[in-house]
This record gives sequence, structure tokens and C-alpha cells, in this order.
Amino acid sequence: MKALEVKNLSAFYGKIQVLWDVSFEVEEGEFVTIIGANGAGKTTLLKSISGLISNKKGTVTAFGKSIEQLSAAKIVRSHIGHVPEGRQLFHLMTVLENLESGADYLPHAKREAAKTKAYVYSLFPRLKEREKQLAGTLSGGERQMLAIGRALMTKPKLLLVDEPSLGLAPALTKTVFQALKTINQEGVTIVLVEQNVLQSLKAAQRAYVLENGEVVKSAEASSLLNDPEIQAAYLAI
Amino acid sequence: MKLRMNLVLLALAAVLLFFLPDLLKLFFDKASVSYLSLLINATSLAILALSWDILARTGQLSLAHAAFFGAGAYSTAILVKQTDVSLWLGLPLAALSAVLLALLLGSVTLQLRGIYFAIATLSFAEVLKAVIQKLPSSLAGGAAGINVEPLFRPQFIAGEMERWEIAFLRNESYFLLYAGLLLATIVLSLLIESSSLSYAFSAIRTNEEVAAVMGVKAARFKLLAFVLSSMPVGILGAIQAHRIGSVSPDETFNVGTTVLALVTPIFGGLYTSLGPILGALGLASIEEFLRRTFSEGYLIGYGIVLVLSILFMPKGIMGLLRSLRKAQRESL
Ligand SMILES: Nc1ncnc2c1ncn2[C@@H]1O[C@H](COP(=O)(O)OP(=O)(O)O)[C@@H](O)[C@H]1O
Ligand SMILES: [Mg+2]
Repeated sequence: MKALEVKNLSAFYGKIQVLWDVSFEVEEGEFVTIIGANGAGKTTLLKSISGLISNKKGTVTAFGKSIEQLSAAKIVRSHIGHVPEGRQLFHLMTVLENLESGADYLPHAKREAAKTKAYVYSLFPRLKEREKQLAGTLSGGERQMLAIGRALMTKPKLLLVDEPSLGLAPALTKTVFQALKTINQEGVTIVLVEQNVLQSLKAAQRAYVLENGEVVKSAEASSLLNDPEIQAAYLAI
Repeated sequence: MKLRMNLVLLALAAVLLFFLPDLLKLFFDKASVSYLSLLINATSLAILALSWDILARTGQLSLAHAAFFGAGAYSTAILVKQTDVSLWLGLPLAALSAVLLALLLGSVTLQLRGIYFAIATLSFAEVLKAVIQKLPSSLAGGAAGINVEPLFRPQFIAGEMERWEIAFLRNESYFLLYAGLLLATIVLSLLIESSSLSYAFSAIRTNEEVAAVMGVKAARFKLLAFVLSSMPVGILGAIQAHRIGSVSPDETFNVGTTVLALVTPIFGGLYTSLGPILGALGLASIEEFLRRTFSEGYLIGYGIVLVLSILFMPKGIMGLLRSLRKAQRESL
């Protein structure tokens, strides 16, 4: 089954159109990246899928179910998690409280909260060490781990990740992408949108290229790494 | 755990409040009436402020609390005037009408943020006031308003001439009623604080988008906050109508009520149960002190105090206490 099927998706801010007939698919279990420059529409795309933008046209189907009409709170109940751009943690809450908030409002996630929390801590041991610390006092890398952890607490089968490398040193970016790979290998389908083209092509299996709100290219991630156009435009080789 | 401790403290406070009128009489004899009046002011301010804060915890900074207050006051006044039912039925009716209004206002302002939300709530209160004024005066008394029968009898001292107002104050039952409503509001606030509602409220306040992708049905929680916040204020309006003895559009739908509802929690410290109560005690005492010292023009002093406090204690009394505690810990 397809985890995600987006067909002719257009999205608007007021009257301004930002996405133009975007179509792409993700098989269950895949790790797909959507790369694009700043302003290409990556964040808008993820927000349209997870229900944060309702001013849109086209269809979005997740695990065989049409979701483009649903509210964000309903979409997360269809097992779609969203790690927002810029982490967006609750800074005055502790690491533990941030994690718990991910499961608190979803009965199916709440039942397994203890188990998921243990899983998140095994993935990111640093979070366990800082359990009682306020999220606002974490380093950039730890915040990103916490943002991913909080989304995992919602028990997603499909995880949408928005530019986790933002503001991270290359080594930390690698750690975070490695964690995403592990999460993927354990059965969670991943859609990663990124400006960090090199790292995300290395982590993902397949890739789409988004330019000015349109999908202009799609291929195996490894073949895009060797694509002269991509190299010239994004990899500065 | 923390909830249980707070409830125990609250039970102690309840006992204290119950005996407070007697204690005042013991210490101040006749002058105790003016302390009772101060206490009633502080208590009703605390009910208003704490209720407003409950709604603010979801990021909705309302300028409509005078409307909930007025709805409670007017529905009681009309019920009492038009029917022969027990006066006490007015209180649940006041709560009900405030809640219905809150649901109406809450659902039309769901999508509004910041200044737009503020303007919408303020206009709502003004419109309601105008509507009440335009209702047939056989029903709602028009601009002049309606008289409201008291809940409790005035207590005169034999052989002394005094104003009714003071004789009413002497009846401690009013104070006890206010105190009871305050205690109920505090319990409500503590229950919210210790339940998963508090996460949801602060998630919605700090980042509604993130709250949504966590599965928080923001609309539902925002409406719930409106309902919980309006209920005590509606009842407060009803009690006040009985105690003052009348309602009128200008007095009852007073913008001052809205302003106090918002200024008091800011002065005390937002998003806590204790902050609005400390704010109310503080402001009511300062006001009383200034009035006695300066009489005419004391409001200028009051304004200056407010401005200074916002400049120098932006997080209110709670913020001040927190930084004092922190400084103390660090100096150890
Ligand atoms: N809230 C908004 N209102 C209006 N335009 C917006 C808004 N958010 C983003 N945009 C515009 O939409 C386009 C795509 O933005 P975005 O999806 O954030 O791109 P990316 O995530 O790829 O950097 C940009 O031109 C941006 O200026
Ligand atoms: Mg973006």
C-alpha cells in the first residue's frame, strides 16, 4: 500500500498561490526526501499534508484514506506525525513534559506512552539525561531530537520532518539523520524536506526536487547525487 | 499530590474566611463594616480576575468579561422581577446565560487572534449593552435599569441612623456568599491546573499549530475555557445585582469591569491560580488606601501605581516572588 499519495496539490496564502499541482507518492516503509531551496514551498507542502493549511486544492491520500478535508487534529489520529520547522518546543516545559504532550491527546498513543518514551530514550539517550530540564535550556541538536521524539510519541506510521538540519553543525545533522534512518528501518515511513541536499540525499532512498512550488524532478536519491544539474544547483560541486 | 496539598490549604482558608467577619468584629467593633466592604471588593475582584485568567491560559485575552457579568446580573434581575420563584434560582440562571453567551462569542471568535480577538470581544460586550438598553422597558427597564430585591436582609443597629448600604454590608451572609464563590472558582482553577487541560491550554497559547499536530482539538478546548471562565463571572454578576440592589446598562455593563478583569491578573501574575488572587488583594488594598488618603482624585494615584507596576514588575507579583526566591537560593 502507498503510505502517501499527493495529487495535484495547490496551496494558497490568501490569494497568493505557493504550491502548483504538486504530485508525489511514498510507498509504505520508504524514506523519501523532498529537496528545495529556501522559499521553494517545502514547509507549505508539509503543512498542507498535515492539515495546518486548509486553503488548498487537490487530493492527499494516506494509507488508502483521503485526508485532504480533515483537520490537523484528525490527521494526526490517522497516524501521520509532523516535526515542524524550527522545532517549536514548549520552552517552559521540561523535556519529559514535552514528550508526554505528544501522547496526551491521542488515546491510541497514550496507551503506549511509556513504551514509546522508552523507545525515544533509547534512540536519544541525551534526552533521558536531560529529562527534568526545561526544553528552553537544551542545545540546538538536543532540541531537534526532542522535537522528533515528541512527534514519535503520537505513534506515527508516516513521519513528516521539516528541515531538521536548520541551524545545526554538520556533525549533529548527521546524528539526527542517522536517527531518522533508524526510525525508518523500524517501520516508520519518512518524508524529509530539506535544504541540506547532500546529507538528505545520502539518507533517503528516493527524492523529489521542489522549485518555486512545483515538482521538477524525481529519482533515486543516489542517482540525484550524481546528476550534474543537481550538483550545479544544490551541491556547489 | 500538589493538588491535594493545595486543596488542604484551601480548606484551611475556607475555615478562616468563615470566621473572618466575627474576627473583624472582635478587633474593630463597628469599624469592621468597612473592612468587610474591602474584603467583598477584594473577593469579587479575585473571582473576576481568576476567571479571566482561566480563559487567558488558552491565549484568548478577552475584553468581554463585563458582558458575562452583565448577563448574569440582568438575567437574575429579570427573573426576580417577572416571576415569584425563589431568589436563589437566579444564580444558576445567571451561570447558564453567561455560559450561553460565552459559547456564542467563543465560536465566532475561534479564528481570531490578537488585536482582532480583542476588538471582537469588546464590541460584543458593547453590542449586548445596547441591546439590553433597547429591550422593552417593561422587561429590562431601558436606560434606567431595574431594581433587584436583596438576597439578605439589611441589619440595622437599633437607635442609629445609617445608610442602607452599610446595613446591608453588616449582613455577613453576602461576604460568605462571595467567599464561597471565590473558593469554588479556585477549586475549578486548581483542577484545571492539575489536569491534562493545563497542557492543552498552554500548548494552544504558545503554539496553536504545534498543538494541532499533537492532536489537540484547539476549538474544543478554547470553547471549554470560555465556558469555564464565564460561569463564575455570571454568578458574580447576579450576586452583585442583589447586593447593590439594581442593574442598569451603564453600571452593569461597565468597561471598568473588563479592564479590572485583565489588569488584576497581569498585576498578580498570569496563568496561575495564586497570581490573580494576590493581584486582587493587592489592588483592592491599594485602592482603599489611596481613597482614604487622597479621597478626590485617588484614581490618578491608582493609575500611577498600575503603570509603575507594569514597568517594574512585568511578570506581576508572582514574577517578583519567583525572582526573589531565585536570588535567595543563589545567595546560599
Ligand atoms: N504565512 C505566509 N503568508 C504568506 N506567504 C507565505 C507564508 N509562509 C510562506 N509564504 C511564502 O510561501 C513561499 C513558500 O514558503 P515555504 O513553504 O516556507 O518555503 P520553504 O519551506 O521551502 O522555505 C515563500 O515564497 C514564502 O514567502
Ligand atoms: Mg521551510
